[in-house]
Amino acid sequence: MDNLILVVILPLLAAFLMPAMARTSEVLARVTGLMVLFISIIIITSVWGSVDEQAVSYAIGGFRPPMGIVFYIDQLSLLFALLIPVMILLFWPWNKVTHIREYSLMMLLTASASGLVLSGDLFNIYVFYELLAVASYGLVVAQGRAGKKGEGAALAASLRYLILGAVGSVMMLIGIAIIYTQAGTLNLAHLALLAPEKLNNMAGLSAFALILIGVGVKAELFPVNTWVPEVYGAVSTRLSALMAGLLSKLAVIVIIRVLVLLFPQPEALQLMTILGMLGVISGELVAWRSRDMIRMLSFSSIGQLGLVFVAFSIPGDMGLMAGFAVALHHLLVKPALFMLASGWTGPLESLKGAAKQSPYIAALFVLLVMSLLGVPPLPGFWAKLLIVVNLASQAAPVYQFALAFVLIATVIEAAYLYRVVMILYHPNQGQQASVREKHKAFELVIASGAAVILIAVALQVQSMETKLSSMARQTGDRQHYINTVFSKLDLADIYHQNKVQQTDFRSNNQLQGSK
Amino acid sequence: MRNISSLLFSGGLAFLLLVLATQLPFGHTSMLLGNDILQAAPDEVGTGNIVAAVLLAYRGIDTLGELAILFTAAASVGLILGQRSNHSAKRDKTITESHFITSRASDLMMPLLIIVGFYIIFYGHLTPGGGFQGGVILAIAFFLPVLTRPGTTIDHGMITIIEGLAGAGFIMIGLWAMLYGKPFLQPFFDTFLGNGIFGSLWSAGTLPLLYLAVGLKVGAELAGLLVTISEAPAAEVERT
Repeated sequence: MDNLILVVILPLLAAFLMPAMARTSEVLARVTGLMVLFISIIIITSVWGSVDEQAVSYAIGGFRPPMGIVFYIDQLSLLFALLIPVMILLFWPWNKVTHIREYSLMMLLTASASGLVLSGDLFNIYVFYELLAVASYGLVVAQGRAGKKGEGAALAASLRYLILGAVGSVMMLIGIAIIYTQAGTLNLAHLALLAPEKLNNMAGLSAFALILIGVGVKAELFPVNTWVPEVYGAVSTRLSALMAGLLSKLAVIVIIRVLVLLFPQPEALQLMTILGMLGVISGELVAWRSRDMIRMLSFSSIGQLGLVFVAFSIPGDMGLMAGFAVALHHLLVKPALFMLASGWTGPLESLKGAAKQSPYIAALFVLLVMSLLGVPPLPGFWAKLLIVVNLASQAAPVYQFALAFVLIATVIEAAYLYRVVMILYHPNQGQQASVREKHKAFELVIASGAAVILIAVALQVQSMETKLSSMARQTGDRQHYINTVFSKLDLADIYHQNKVQQTDFRSNNQLQGSK
Repeated sequence: MRNISSLLFSGGLAFLLLVLATQLPFGHTSMLLGNDILQAAPDEVGTGNIVAAVLLAYRGIDTLGELAILFTAAASVGLILGQRSNHSAKRDKTITESHFITSRASDLMMPLLIIVGFYIIFYGHLTPGGGFQGGVILAIAFFLPVLTRPGTTIDHGMITIIEGLAGAGFIMIGLWAMLYGKPFLQPFFDTFLGNGIFGSLWSAGTLPLLYLAVGLKVGAELAGLLVTISEAPAAEVERT
């Protein structure tokens, strides 16, 4: 278990050394990245399943938890720690890079993403989030350069993305600063202990709102997602698949941790519901209006992420479970759809009759789209069913509204996806059928792999459900988190200190009163 | 219209933050963690400068992350500007040599800056200062000649190697502890240094080495960044 930190450290080491290595041997530098990814996967699979019952914490530098930084390893973080190197490996820019530094950036992305899901310290999470953000700006510029729309559009897109992302980071930092002034600590477990007393007020809630908006930039949350279609349109489909599939989910994980441990108040949940349902409806409406496959998928991604937020905002473990189901389903389906769309650029109308030309690809597309929409036996249906059932069982009016929004959005989604399928299966060939780009082999392999997994999951719904519910239970258990990070002795210490702190605070209040 | 809406947005945000600020207990900051560290750090880590103890020992992985952010930013700028300057690398010959006083002053300054930079890095765990500050001074020391003598270039290969090795050095020191069965980045392990005498140069375990790595990395990174920006062809920017 101690080796798990290597998942974060080795990619960083590789990233630092790669440019220097490339001066002597370019091949060596290229191979290093792949080796690190394989080693990461091996390390994680070797500890797979060992945290099913009891999560584990790892104190970096060996300093006691509230003072030092801890990594927290449970089912959720282990699952994502595995998904990160696997997905990076799948979307590795094999020979399309312009400069060795791009491999370096991919390694930094891996390291920061792994750190983000493993870390148990709020400021450490911010550092990794910032690293993730800066690495993705660099990749957007580098890949956009070689991308579809040329250099100018890519630079403009990445500049806007950078500005929005920077504002988001600042907001998140302000939120963390407010939490620190209120509670005086940054360790998530310690904060979870103090939260009911110190963060259950207006300042705490506004801190949550700031963090939600700040992290929401990456998670494609409603008001701060304007970069999405522009960036996904400008960069290579590999990168957009990675960003829509993986990076957005990582931001969601951060929000979930903060929400579960620090802000279990209903106000925080309802704020997220409202932003989520606005995201669902706006994303699906614009997707319905768009006339270009990549744009449509980008906006549909905004809609799906909105759905994820709505699901996570349902109180209790069932909400978490529904959220995980939708998030993982989107993580599987959206990259595959982006892969298929990379051969189908240009206006939708030009795709007329594409099914005749490539029936297998069109069939794959239909399967993935049906799951996205939530057609029964496919996994997407079960994910959406979980959301709908749990929304319906909530008494608060905001959840009834959310239910209505989700159902309306599904209808809109059905409308535009049906339209696309009709275009694909149109009896007449489009005019540009002959000049259409061919799909590359690896794109088809990834999309087929996703389809196979989708069908396998559909057959194994029962066991998936037990896995997800056990993950949700572990994630939602605050006491478990606290007990994992702190030993009994530490806890006694903290309780003692806390009392002292409280009396201090009271005397301060009295002083202020007497003035 | 767009200006007005962004003005409204920023105004609203500023107002909200001000309201928030009035809610916060100014002057009564909760020093929950701070007090603990203030008390424990001199004995536990053995640094005269508590900030260094927080930066390298208690929150060492944050510092590693920040180094990586700096590296990423420099790499991204290199990706944007570096490639352009490659195919238009011919330097503008019309720029004249700077004056006698400027160039001689920079010659005089350079060794002094290097000494000050290294002093600040080496004594980072004892006095205010450290790798980040010292590294910036080192970067300036090497960037000064480029400013005063427009013809001079800095070897980018050398910078790449220094920044790579310094960054790897930081991580290696952390991994070294793991070889002894200690957690990653633990500053003390058997057979090496130990706590040392409080207040002497060789104290606080591996912290001085970590600061040296930080200083070299920051210095190389910043020097590389400054040189890349100064080499980017200005004429091309004007044309577009």
